Amino acid sequence: VVAATYTQYKDAEIVSLCLEGDAHAWETLIHRYKRLIFSIATRFGFAPADASDIFQSICVQLIEHLHELKTGERLSSWLMTMTTRQCLRFRSIQTRDEDDGNLSVADPVDPKENLEAIRLRVEREQMLRRCVDDLPDRCRGLIRLLYFVSPLPTYEEIASKLEIPVSSVGPNRARCIEKLREIVLARHVE
Amino acid sequence: MTYIDGRASGEAKSGLEQHLSTCDDCASLRQELQTMVSDLERDAVFEPPAEAVQFGIDLFQPVRQPAGGKVRRIIAALVFDTFDQPAMAGVRRVGAPPRQLLFRAGDVDVDVKIEAMVANDRITLVGQVLSNGAKFFDNTPVKLESHGMVRFKTTTNLVGEFSFDEVPKDTYHLSVDLPEGQITLFCVHRANA
Repeated sequence: VVAATYTQYKDAEIVSLCLEGDAHAWETLIHRYKRLIFSIATRFGFAPADASDIFQSICVQLIEHLHELKTGERLSSWLMTMTTRQCLRFRSIQTRDEDDGNLSVADPVDPKENLEAIRLRVEREQMLRRCVDDLPDRCRGLIRLLYFVSPLPTYEEIASKLEIPVSSVGPNRARCIEKLREIVLARHVE
Repeated sequence: MTYIDGRASGEAKSGLEQHLSTCDDCASLRQELQTMVSDLERDAVFEPPAEAVQFGIDLFQPVRQPAGGKVRRIIAALVFDTFDQPAMAGVRRVGAPPRQLLFRAGDVDVDVKIEAMVANDRITLVGQVLSNGAKFFDNTPVKLESHGMVRFKTTTNLVGEFSFDEVPKDTYHLSVDLPEGQITLFCVHRANA
């Protein structure tokens, strides 16, 4: 697990560490927001290769503008805005190429949901990811293995990794989901 | 959670369903948990390809000072700058002209030309590392640093030339890693390129 010690750091702390030249902090930042960025491109209907290009271009923009995001407060919103803009730009380029008769470009697909709906959904998902970061170590490890690792491991593999009986994966999962719900509720109250 | 997972059966399941049909709070809790679990289950779909993630991680190349400070940092002196030269009388030009600079550190000269791309707000920076002696500085690392990070890096060719094509306008320090030390050159500021 990369830069595990930074998992619970706030964005502002991570950005400051990046600006001090800390490569682990940057890696944490990429892992923290990779799914947020990719999920927007995916929801715009881009093929995985195009969504990857968009993801990479956002990473470049992030490193270019990192010093402007020192407070870290708006990082999540900034990334959502920049990714949405990049998706719209990408779509307009594809549409233009198609109009020019370049049939090698795949048909761009309109976002299945409107932009505001995408934004709300992406925000909720990102909040859930951050809540997972706030779970106690064992629960965080279990939830990550259950949902965030690719390819997803079997219950047997999870049990072996966490050194617990296979039969206790389910009950532990239930307890951890309940803890996660409490954290989500507490965040809503904040 | 057993019910949410669809693993409840028999009396337990029917009893729970009966209760949920009359208890708004529990029905709401079920809905909440189901949404949360389905969000978690769907999350893996949004994992970008590993190589794209690695590309993002590899963008960051922090400036690391070697332990013990063995590498000497030499600040080069600016000896020529076209920016300081008056325009020739009667010469007109559309757009900003390329800026040419010459830096000197000991017996090493670094010639740099900066050209602004008006269309995309980027700059192209080409240069050559030259020695007063006969040798060329080939395969020498050249880096553009800003905000404490190496943003772009390249190496010189056989005759000591290097180029950074269409990099974003920003404040950069250009550094050249030579065996005798690292030469730090100058700032390319948004306003002066």
